[in-house]
Amino acid sequence: MTAATLPPGGAAPAGSAASAPRFDTGRIAKGAGRWGVAIIGALVIFGAFMLAKGVNPFTAYGDMFSSTFSSSNSIGEILIKASPILLAALAVTVPARAGLVNVGGEGQLVIGGVAAAGVSLALGDGGASVGGMVLMMVAAAAAGAMLAGLAGVLRLWVGINEAVTTLLLNYLAVDIMLYLIFDSWKDPNGSGQPATRALPVAERLPLIGTSRVHTGLFIALGAMVLMYLALSRTTWGFRLGVVGGNPEAARRSGYRVGLMLLGALAVGGALAGLGGFVQLAGVEFKLRQGFLVGYGYIGFLASWLARHHPLQVGLGALALAAIAVGGDSLQIDSGLPAAGVNILMALVLLAVFGWTRVKKGVAA
Amino acid sequence: MTKAQTTQAQTAEAEQGDVETVDVTDRPSRLEVRGMTKRFGDLVANDAVDLTVAPGEVHAVLGENGAGKSTLMKLIYGTYQPDEGTIAVDGTTVAVTSPAVARSAGIGMVFQDLRLVPAFTVTENIALALELKGPLLDRAGLAARIREGSEQFGLAVDPDALVRHLSIGERQRVEILKVLMAGAQLVILDEPTSVLAPQEVDRLFEGLMELRAQGLSVVIITHKLREARAIADRVSVLRGGKIVLGRADPTTMTDPELIEAMVGRTVPALAAERSTVEVSNEPALSLTDVVVKSEDGATRLKGLTLDVKRGEILGIAGVAGSGQRELYEVALGLCDIESGSVMVCGKPIGGGQSRQALAAGAVGIPEDPVVESVVPGLDVAAHMAMEDLPTYRKRLGIDWSKVRSFVGSLNDRTGLRMVDSKRMLSDLSGGNIQRVILTRAFGTTGELLVAAYPSRGLDIATTRRTQELLVERRGAGAGVLFISEDLDELLELSDRIAVFHDGELTGIVEPSSTDRYEIGRLMLGGAEADLVAVGEPSDQLATVGGGS
Repeated sequence: MTAATLPPGGAAPAGSAASAPRFDTGRIAKGAGRWGVAIIGALVIFGAFMLAKGVNPFTAYGDMFSSTFSSSNSIGEILIKASPILLAALAVTVPARAGLVNVGGEGQLVIGGVAAAGVSLALGDGGASVGGMVLMMVAAAAAGAMLAGLAGVLRLWVGINEAVTTLLLNYLAVDIMLYLIFDSWKDPNGSGQPATRALPVAERLPLIGTSRVHTGLFIALGAMVLMYLALSRTTWGFRLGVVGGNPEAARRSGYRVGLMLLGALAVGGALAGLGGFVQLAGVEFKLRQGFLVGYGYIGFLASWLARHHPLQVGLGALALAAIAVGGDSLQIDSGLPAAGVNILMALVLLAVFGWTRVKKGVAA
Repeated sequence: MTKAQTTQAQTAEAEQGDVETVDVTDRPSRLEVRGMTKRFGDLVANDAVDLTVAPGEVHAVLGENGAGKSTLMKLIYGTYQPDEGTIAVDGTTVAVTSPAVARSAGIGMVFQDLRLVPAFTVTENIALALELKGPLLDRAGLAARIREGSEQFGLAVDPDALVRHLSIGERQRVEILKVLMAGAQLVILDEPTSVLAPQEVDRLFEGLMELRAQGLSVVIITHKLREARAIADRVSVLRGGKIVLGRADPTTMTDPELIEAMVGRTVPALAAERSTVEVSNEPALSLTDVVVKSEDGATRLKGLTLDVKRGEILGIAGVAGSGQRELYEVALGLCDIESGSVMVCGKPIGGGQSRQALAAGAVGIPEDPVVESVVPGLDVAAHMAMEDLPTYRKRLGIDWSKVRSFVGSLNDRTGLRMVDSKRMLSDLSGGNIQRVILTRAFGTTGELLVAAYPSRGLDIATTRRTQELLVERRGAGAGVLFISEDLDELLELSDRIAVFHDGELTGIVEPSSTDRYEIGRLMLGGAEADLVAVGEPSDQLATVGGGS
């Protein structure tokens, strides 16, 4: 199943960190080989786990594969899940280029959704329009940027590691959302459920053709291509790579290292915030308990799996979305708890880390 | 231990008669290395190396960086295992499989970075090195033995002093004594003089003479001819992993002959005549009452006032850690200053404002490029562009073809033979990294060049070329702040030499009217150059670790 989608050998991992793009087919083939071995290893270990639970791993994997890829319906499902995962993953990728670890994609997604919902509520049902939707997008990105930026400020002025603060701010973001949907933002016409009112139709992302997939996918892909270009082709991306590779060298070259770190976190946060908007305006239409739970962490995995290379991050997001969708069928067909699929994801991550050398902040 | 000491005493006794005329043929060599070969992948670091050291001999191993000196010593000391070759100590072949084996065979090593614990006393540090029996440490007994050893070997050491209160020279004596008390008959010293003032070097050499007189053998690794001449009975020269000159008597050879052996060709001397450069009066760097404190609160620069004129090379001398690093950082706006003012080419630089300093025309050659300049994952071209991105900007990105063509022309102009611009800098050797950093610095037209140990890690020919480039920058009207630990180099290149001691300027001298001992006296604080006697830590030493 996933093995079919994960190996990045066919992808174009153009160029290393911030330098000019380079191709090295031997290196890519070697990397793909390692990935293959790692993923097979993870599948074998998880297979043993299934055996222990009395499930035949071959039929379970077969069911997962066929139910995931046989119907256009479930392929659509994968693409829908992949969009916020990709944006959350890019929120890790950009700061990682500057040597930062952003574990706050989860909270930045949620706060983006909250900001978008807030704008929608402020505009009211009468004010719903395409212009309003653009405003929601901007607000979502700004909210994500501010939440991540807060972690940046704490790092620069108080000296607390951003991995810690971004993680803790996840709880803050979720609690802000819960506070609002249990209180002033609760839909008065709802059935008493803690949720906002559904977005007016004019504020929902249009669907692609006749599919169930919404145009948020294009936003995510567009962000991916933009980040790829920004990181590999601009002086900004180059400077970020220098800061990530050796902050001391950056300082001695006269770079404003503090500002660069802050900017990298803010851009990352904005991308995740956009992910919150995409999920709200494309899938959920209302804030509710459990909004985007776990997506930020899956995105974190996707970025690390792809070693923070934007185009490979796209593949990673797709693969993890497929595992997540496949996990649903695993639960239905084999009777294993859905959490089992998280174990599989963790195994894949550990296996890939184990078999490929990962350097912090530098796409090796 | 006691056994070793007895043996040592016996040996010393046996030598009493014929200290002056040591005859190699009579007795087995102290150390006999035969056909030693060590490969690292394709690189042959040592190629069938032979080295013979007689008892009571000081043997200098000369060679450039990368010639294989360190590899050879690590093979002898058991840190590396040879691919081929044998080692015999006092006529017996020994398989030196580890440093412990080497030590028990009587081979001791004094590393360049001394392996002492600063927070411990001398006694405690020596206790660490000796394999003492029993759970209790008999401090008094050991201290008595240290005094005894100190007297026996002529190495003045106070057993009760905390190592962090000792000067580098004293620490080195502790290290040597430690090695001797562990029973060494052959002491290997790796570049022992690089951190010492001339007086301390003399003191060290006196100690080594004493060891020689007692029949012990000393191998000293160095690249300084002056020192090889001063102390060595025999010299062997390594080049490209091979012995090109074995057991030569240094008194029969001239300096150019020895250099030619080390380099493989003759190196032209630096042009002695230098023009006076007519430039504006405004100094390239002007420091007034600059005070810098380190993070732990110790004062590193104590109210420094100093000008670097344009068209001048101002040399900076001082024992390591006397404030050179802080001076470098202040001049480039890299560290915060407590008080005082810094002007680069007439423009005031706030503390910690490297952007201002760079914009005003300051260019740095860092002390430790791997830490301060090398970015993993970036190639040489990227490093060349790093400090000057606006020049290479093309729309939002970087014009790499422009960078490469500039790098090519620069390489031709400087003649420092930098590697291909597509190589990853972090994969290069120290010497090649240094060439890149130097090429970048000499490619700029900054009016203030701050060079910290610019020839570190370079071969003799490239060192000469670097010196020429420094003189060229001077001739073009730039002010050059030249920090070095090599007094010969400072005397040769500088127009003036500012000497530092413990964060203070102790004097400014002109090479034409000074000598090494004058500079050495200033390096040690300007007091008369009496070195510290046992049990009397001087003021200057007490402040080294403690701050104020």
